[in-house]
Amino acid sequence: MKRIFLLLTVFVTGLTQAQLKVNDVQSFTLKNGMKFLVVEDFSIPNANMYLFYKVGSRNEYQGITGLSHFFEHMMFNGAKKYGPKEFDRVMELNGGANNAYTREDITAYTNWFPASSAEVMFDLEGDRISSLSIDPKMVESERGVVISERSTGLENSPWNGLMQGVSGQAFQEHPYHWPVIGYLDDMKNWKQADLERYFKTYYAPNNCLVVVSGAMKLAEVKRLAEKYLEPIPAQAAPPAVHIVEPEQTGERRIEMQKDVTTPYLYIAWKAPNAMDADYYALSLLNDILTGGRSSRLYKSLVDEKQAATTVFASYNESLDPTLFGIAAVTARGTDVANLENVIYTELEKIKKEGITAAELEKVKNAKLIEFYGQVETINGKSNNLGTYEIFFGDYKKMFEAPAAYNKVSMDDIKRVANKYFNKTTRTVGVLKANTDK
Amino acid sequence: MKGLQYITVFCLLLVSTLTTAQDYKLPPYQKFTLKNGLTVYLMEQHEVPMINVSVVLPAGAIYDGDKAGLAAFTATALKHGTQKYPKAKLDETLDFMGASVNSYATKESAGISASFAAKDKQPVFDIIYELLTQPTFNAEEFAKEKQRALTRLAQAKESPRSVIGSQFDKLIYGDHVYGNVTGGTTSSVTVLDVADLKKFHAANYVPNGSAIAVVGDFNSKEMKAELTKLFGNWKKGNSQSTNFASAPIATANEANVLLINKEDAKETTFIIGSKGVSRNNPDFVAIDVVNTLFGGRFTSMLNDELRVNSGLTYGARSSFSALKNSGSFSISTFTASNTTEAAIDKALDVVNKLHTDGVDEQMLTSAKNYVKGQFPPKYETSGQLAGLLTSMFWYNFNESYINNFQKNVDDLTLDKAREIIKKYFPKDKLQFVLVGKSADIRKIAEKYGKVKEIQITDEPKKKAF
Repeated sequence: MKRIFLLLTVFVTGLTQAQLKVNDVQSFTLKNGMKFLVVEDFSIPNANMYLFYKVGSRNEYQGITGLSHFFEHMMFNGAKKYGPKEFDRVMELNGGANNAYTREDITAYTNWFPASSAEVMFDLEGDRISSLSIDPKMVESERGVVISERSTGLENSPWNGLMQGVSGQAFQEHPYHWPVIGYLDDMKNWKQADLERYFKTYYAPNNCLVVVSGAMKLAEVKRLAEKYLEPIPAQAAPPAVHIVEPEQTGERRIEMQKDVTTPYLYIAWKAPNAMDADYYALSLLNDILTGGRSSRLYKSLVDEKQAATTVFASYNESLDPTLFGIAAVTARGTDVANLENVIYTELEKIKKEGITAAELEKVKNAKLIEFYGQVETINGKSNNLGTYEIFFGDYKKMFEAPAAYNKVSMDDIKRVANKYFNKTTRTVGVLKANTDK
Repeated sequence: MKGLQYITVFCLLLVSTLTTAQDYKLPPYQKFTLKNGLTVYLMEQHEVPMINVSVVLPAGAIYDGDKAGLAAFTATALKHGTQKYPKAKLDETLDFMGASVNSYATKESAGISASFAAKDKQPVFDIIYELLTQPTFNAEEFAKEKQRALTRLAQAKESPRSVIGSQFDKLIYGDHVYGNVTGGTTSSVTVLDVADLKKFHAANYVPNGSAIAVVGDFNSKEMKAELTKLFGNWKKGNSQSTNFASAPIATANEANVLLINKEDAKETTFIIGSKGVSRNNPDFVAIDVVNTLFGGRFTSMLNDELRVNSGLTYGARSSFSALKNSGSFSISTFTASNTTEAAIDKALDVVNKLHTDGVDEQMLTSAKNYVKGQFPPKYETSGQLAGLLTSMFWYNFNESYINNFQKNVDDLTLDKAREIIKKYFPKDKLQFVLVGKSADIRKIAEKYGKVKEIQITDEPKKKAF
C-alpha cells in the first residue's frame, strides 16, 4: 500500500504544481458581512462573479414550496435603478451574460463578462441586492415561466418525477421532502408578501458569499465591492432550519406510472452531509460503483448481465444529511426486480469482501483528474471555491481534498458500505408503464 | 425615457474600452501533413500537465447509405477493443489512468476526443492509434451494444426533445444525406452486423482527409517525432469517390407542418425553420451577430416576447446549424398544450417584426458587444482549443476566424445587418414540427400549412412529406 501512495503523491504534486494554489485565493469581508474570495487569472480577458446565497428549498415550508427558485427568477425582474428587463439588457449591452441556479441548500447567481465591464456588473448587483422591486405584473408572467420550467422537466425526463417521488418518501419531515421547483399548487399560490419577506430575510449581504475569478486585480475587486456593495445594510441572521429528519427504521417503496418503454429504478440510502468524516470515502465509493466502464455496477449490470441499459450513482455535497442514490434503467428481457437484486448482490460483495487496491488507486487517480478539470476554467474556479466554502465550511478544504481522498483506505470503503447500504434506511422507487401489475 | 437615454450614452462610452479588452488571439500552433495524408496540429499549453486530443475523420452519417446508424455504431464499436487491448483491458487501462478517450460520429464526420495526464501520453496515444486502425469489432460486444441501443431508441420516444431534431432535419433536407438520422432507427439498427462495421471502417477510417489536433503540456519537436512515427504507419486509403453532401437540396415550395402525436403530452414542443447557411458562408460572423439579437441570448427578441413579456415558455431561441455544404435555421421552444396557438403566433410575429421593423443602432451595438464579450471563454481550455483546430481543418477556415473575429463583428454596419436579415432570415414557406397531443392541436396546426400527422413512435421517413 505504501508504494501506491507514494506514486500517487508524486502524481498529485505533478498535477498541482502549475495550477491554482491555496495562496492564489485572496479573501476579504465587507463591513456588512459580505465575504469575498478573489482569484486573479489573466489567461483570458474575461472575469466572472458568482454570488452564493445561503437559501434554498431547505428554507421553505409547505405552502410556499418552490419560492426560493421562483425568487431566483424574480431577481432579474427589476430594481430601483435598473427597472424591469434592464438587468439583462444592461449586462448584455456590456458584453456580459448571466445565469442562476437553485438547489436544496443554496441559490447561486453567475455573471460572466469582459473584465473591462466589471464596474457595471457590480453596479447591477448592488442595485438588485439593495433595492429589488417586486412588481406584481412581473410576478404573474414569471409564474408562467417557472410553471413551464417544471412542466418541460417532467415532459422530457422520466427521472424528474421518480427522483422527486423517492425524496418525498425518504424525507418525511425535513424540507428535502419537496422538490426544489415546488408543488404545482404552491407555485400558483405564492403571495407578494412571501416574496418581500424572503428578500429581506435571505438576500442580505451577510447571507451571501461572492467569488470573483478572472482578469481583475484584488484591489479593483475591493474598490468596486466597497463602492457598490458595502453600503447595503446587514440584516438579522435568518432563522436556522430546525427540523432534523427522524431516523428511518424500515425500507420504503414507491411505484409511479408513466408511459416508459422499460421500468426506471432509483434506490436511495440515507447518507451524511459534506461535513461528515465519511464524505470522502462515500464519494470514492460512488466512483467505484459507476465511474467509468470498468466500474463495478456498469461492468456487471450493463455489460456482463445486460440487466440495465444505463446505471449511475449520485452523492452530492449538502448541508443536512442527504441521499446516496443508484439509478438504473431496466434492459428489455429482464424485469426490474431482477435488476434491483443484481444491484444488492454487487453491494453485498463490497460489504463482505471489500475492494481491491487497484480499484482504490483507480478512483483516486480519477478524482485528481476530475479535480483538475473543475479548476481549469475561471468559471470552474469560482463555482468550486464557493461550493467548498459553503458546504465544507472553508474554501481551503478544496485544496485539502486531494489529501483527504488520498487518506481513504480499502477498509474505509468496506466500512462505509456496511454502515450506509442497509435495507432499513433505503427507499426504492420504480417508474413503469403498468403500475397495476 | 430618461433611463433609456442614459443607458445609450453609457454604452457608447464603454464600447472603446471593450475593443481593447477583447483583443483575443489564437495561441501559436504548428500544422503539418504526414506522407499518408494525415494532417497534424500541435499547440503547446503548459499551464497544467495535461494533454487534449481531437481527431476528425470523414466517417459521419452522410456515408451511412441505407444503413442508418452505421457511422455512429462504427465509432462506438471502436471502443469494443483491439487485439492488444480487448474491451475489458481497454476500459481498465483508461479508467486507471483517469484518462478519457471517446469516439463518436456526427452527421458529417467521426471523431475521437481524449483528455489525459501528460505523463500518460505514450500509452494513451498507443490506444488512440490502435482504436483508429485496428479495431476488432467483436461480435459479442456488438450484439450487446445493439440491444442497449434498441432500448434507448425506444426510450427516446418518451421525450419530445430527443426526437424533434432528427424529424426537423428530415423535413428540411428530405432525402439528401444531411437528412440521415445519425443514431439510426429501430429497423435499420436491427439489421446491422459487424461485417457492415468492418466494411465501413475500412472505407472511411483513413488518414487522408483526416486530422489530429494535440493541445497541452508537451514539447512540439518531440511530439512531432513521436506522432510521425506512430501515425506514419497508418495506411493511406482511397479517397471518397462521391461527395454525397454536395448534391443539391430541394427547397420547400410551401409551408409544411409535421404534427407528431404524443398521447400523454402536456405541452407542445415545436421548431419552426427553413434551410440555413453553410459554415463557409462569408457572412457567417454577421449572421451570428444578427441571430444573437433575434434569438440567441436572453434579451433576444424571441425570448423577450415568448418568455419575459408573456410567460408562455421557459425559453425560446433561434439558431443557425451550419454544415459543410448547407445548414438549417430553426426557432425552437415549448409551451403548455393550451397555449400552443398563442406561442406559435407570437413566434411568427417576432419573425415579421424583424423584417418590418428591422434592428436599430442600440440593438446592434448590444449584440456586437455581447458576442465579443462571450467569445474568449469559448477557447479557454485545451480541450476547446483542440476541438477548434479540428473544426478549422474540417470546415476549411484558419486562425483569422479567431484573430479577426472582433474586427469582423465591429465592421457590421446597420445597413449590412438589414441586408443579412433580408437575405438569410426566412419569413415565408416556413417548415414546422410540432410534438404534442394531436387531438388538442390538430386544428391549430392546420393554420400554418399543409399538415402531415404521425405518431411519436413512428420512424423518420425517407422524406417527411
